[in-house]
Amino acid sequence: MPNIIRKMEDQYAEYLKDESRSVGEAASISFPKTQAEVLETMRNCLAKGENITVQGSRTGLAASAVPHGGHILNLSRLNHILGLRYDAPRDNFFVTVEPGVLLSQLRKAVADKSFDIKLWNDKSVQTLEKFRAAEWFFTPDPTETSASIGGMVSCNASGARTFLFGPTRNYIEALRVILPNGEVLNIRRGRHFAKERKFKLKTENNEISGDLPSYIMPEVKSAAGYFVHDNMDLIDLFIGAEGTLGVITQIEVRLIRLPKAIWGITAFFPNEPSALEYVKALRNENKKYPWLHRPAAIEFFNCRALDLLRSQKANNPAFAQIQELKPQYHTAVYTELHGHSVQAEEMPVLIGGLGDLINFVGGDEADTWVANNQRDLEKLQFFRHAMPESANMLIDQRRKLDPTLTKLGTDMSVPDRYLNTVMEMYNRDLAEADLENVIFGHIGNNHLHVNILPRNKTDYLKGKELYLKWAQTNVANGGSVAAEHGIGKLKTNMLEVMYGASGINEMRRLKSLFDPNGLINCGNMFAPAKEVK
Amino acid sequence: MMKIIVCTKQVPATNEVKMDPVTNTIIREGVEAICNPFDTYAVEEALRIKEKQGAHITAISMGIPTVAPMLKEVVALGVDEAVLLTDRKFAGADTLATAYTLAKGIGKIGDFDLVICGKQATDGDTAQVGPSLAETLSIPHLTDVGEIKELNSKTIVCRRMTDDGYDELEMDLPCLITVTKEINTPRLPSILGIKKAQKYKVHKFNANICEENDIHIGLSGSPTQVVKTFIPTSAVECQFLKIKALADKLRELSNIEEEGN
Repeated sequence: MPNIIRKMEDQYAEYLKDESRSVGEAASISFPKTQAEVLETMRNCLAKGENITVQGSRTGLAASAVPHGGHILNLSRLNHILGLRYDAPRDNFFVTVEPGVLLSQLRKAVADKSFDIKLWNDKSVQTLEKFRAAEWFFTPDPTETSASIGGMVSCNASGARTFLFGPTRNYIEALRVILPNGEVLNIRRGRHFAKERKFKLKTENNEISGDLPSYIMPEVKSAAGYFVHDNMDLIDLFIGAEGTLGVITQIEVRLIRLPKAIWGITAFFPNEPSALEYVKALRNENKKYPWLHRPAAIEFFNCRALDLLRSQKANNPAFAQIQELKPQYHTAVYTELHGHSVQAEEMPVLIGGLGDLINFVGGDEADTWVANNQRDLEKLQFFRHAMPESANMLIDQRRKLDPTLTKLGTDMSVPDRYLNTVMEMYNRDLAEADLENVIFGHIGNNHLHVNILPRNKTDYLKGKELYLKWAQTNVANGGSVAAEHGIGKLKTNMLEVMYGASGINEMRRLKSLFDPNGLINCGNMFAPAKEVK
Repeated sequence: MMKIIVCTKQVPATNEVKMDPVTNTIIREGVEAICNPFDTYAVEEALRIKEKQGAHITAISMGIPTVAPMLKEVVALGVDEAVLLTDRKFAGADTLATAYTLAKGIGKIGDFDLVICGKQATDGDTAQVGPSLAETLSIPHLTDVGEIKELNSKTIVCRRMTDDGYDELEMDLPCLITVTKEINTPRLPSILGIKKAQKYKVHKFNANICEENDIHIGLSGSPTQVVKTFIPTSAVECQFLKIKALADKLRELSNIEEEGN
């Protein structure tokens, strides 16, 4: 046994769970600090036929990092930033990181332009000078900044700014993956493509080939199941694969130029229809507003969400710094404008137009909070982050009385034209079922997090029923059951709603091409083959 | 209607202050200039009074002409008028000369009932200008106010935290208070406020508010001599003790205290 493998003991109990709050079991755990240690540990486990569950910083909401027996390969200490590269024609910087690097760590290094260069080669160090001459940023912004980059790649994480910039996938340039056969695969974007749905990948000494699943992915924001399409770039197969095809040990991420100005505006509306009208106007669906360029983010808070924040502010000192929410504030929409081409001085003009728009759809430009610098933006981001935190805290209180209760948080998206329909459905069904809830999230992509907050077991079961019903309706309307949190071990039945038993079987077959013995991250996305038989 | 004056100062954004190791002064190059954070609580408190019982608020600041945009930001929050005291003759002012100049500026603005200042500025950290301004204006003042309990046209009742508990004190108007961050949560501007501020022109007062050859302003009015500035080093040492050693240490310390008493 390599000396980094530890028997599971009480002191490691934290590592049996993640942010989904479900708890698993494991026989052993390791915390490799180098890629060589990962390889050695994996080969050791694989030789013994032992299951491996990979963990980043365990901030996932779908239990992907929760072990179901076997070994926990925790990559939180494999956290070096290894180098920097500039691509002149694309005007992008590329940073090579290990999977345990946290989003907050990468952001700080990029913003401060300060890196630990001990492990860097000369070329990377020389690039630093050019890097320091301008401002750069990594756009993916899941609300939880302690997420690891490896975890973000594995579930193709998104955030508020995904509305403009797309998900993590769009910013991943190269990956190093240790395959379940113990071989190392280096894959770079633009080099390896499928032929229609057939693929072939050369590894160190072998070749893996076969068919990709045949399903058609919905044309909405989605992180459900393998990413597949005809003639796809094969690097995309590993992004959002929830660790089922191998263990990612190195990642090259792409940075773009930081916008010259970033303004955040939270607008409060007297009712929900006005807020929805504003969202559609912000998306410029009818091209009615030629002056308005696409916002970076459009986020939503319904009336019950604002009420929960009001009570948090009143009762919990941690939320006291939230600004006063006036009684007439019924529904809120946060939007973020980035000025790349416009001068920073032109932003006020843009904001002025936005004020007219708010008045036009039935709001009041006086009922807005504007942040035009980093400190104030952080206040608005704190307000946004306080939303899921508040819902979780409320449920944690209730779990003290009934530990079987959990929050039921949806993560579904639908096409633009179904925005009103889906909101009506959620509101009607929740009122009819008399379930306590808050609705918030990424409304720009019609991707709302309905959080059902069960008061008791009956509520919980009613909520689960509704959740499944909504999944069926949203899929029928061309939506996705998991837009950003992934499927993990908690939503496998939802994935089946989306792609049917045949789709799941095709995914299972694809996994078995890489992992014939079913040893790596089994149970994520679909139940392991051996349990099905 | 009640007339309120709020004092504001532009300071470098101080979340990550860098000191010049040679000159021992704050490096201001490339550091964003912001409204002194404590002054934002002063502005907010004035706005709350205005919303509750009606008031006319004038913000005042002394500084170089580029301070005007900061005053516009304050106007965006709902302040009615903004005055910038700016003149080369004001340069080099210490806290005494600053208080004197502010008092002259306030004299030109006219009558007032209440002056609100932040408890101190985050660059100098002296907490002297507020009280000094009150003395120059010959009005009563109270520092470190954490809550205004009552305010009418004649008097104000304030609460402030002290080492021994809370003080609740009543003062006659006109008077001056300095406020701490416990007093409120400052608001962000609205789009409406930003639109108003864009059209607003900040009033600029120069040295004509003072007598000709007034020696109380600028460098000549500043008796403060900065002999030395330096970056303090922390002298606190942390020791880790086992339970028994800790018990011995506590016993030793309690003996010292008893002897001292």
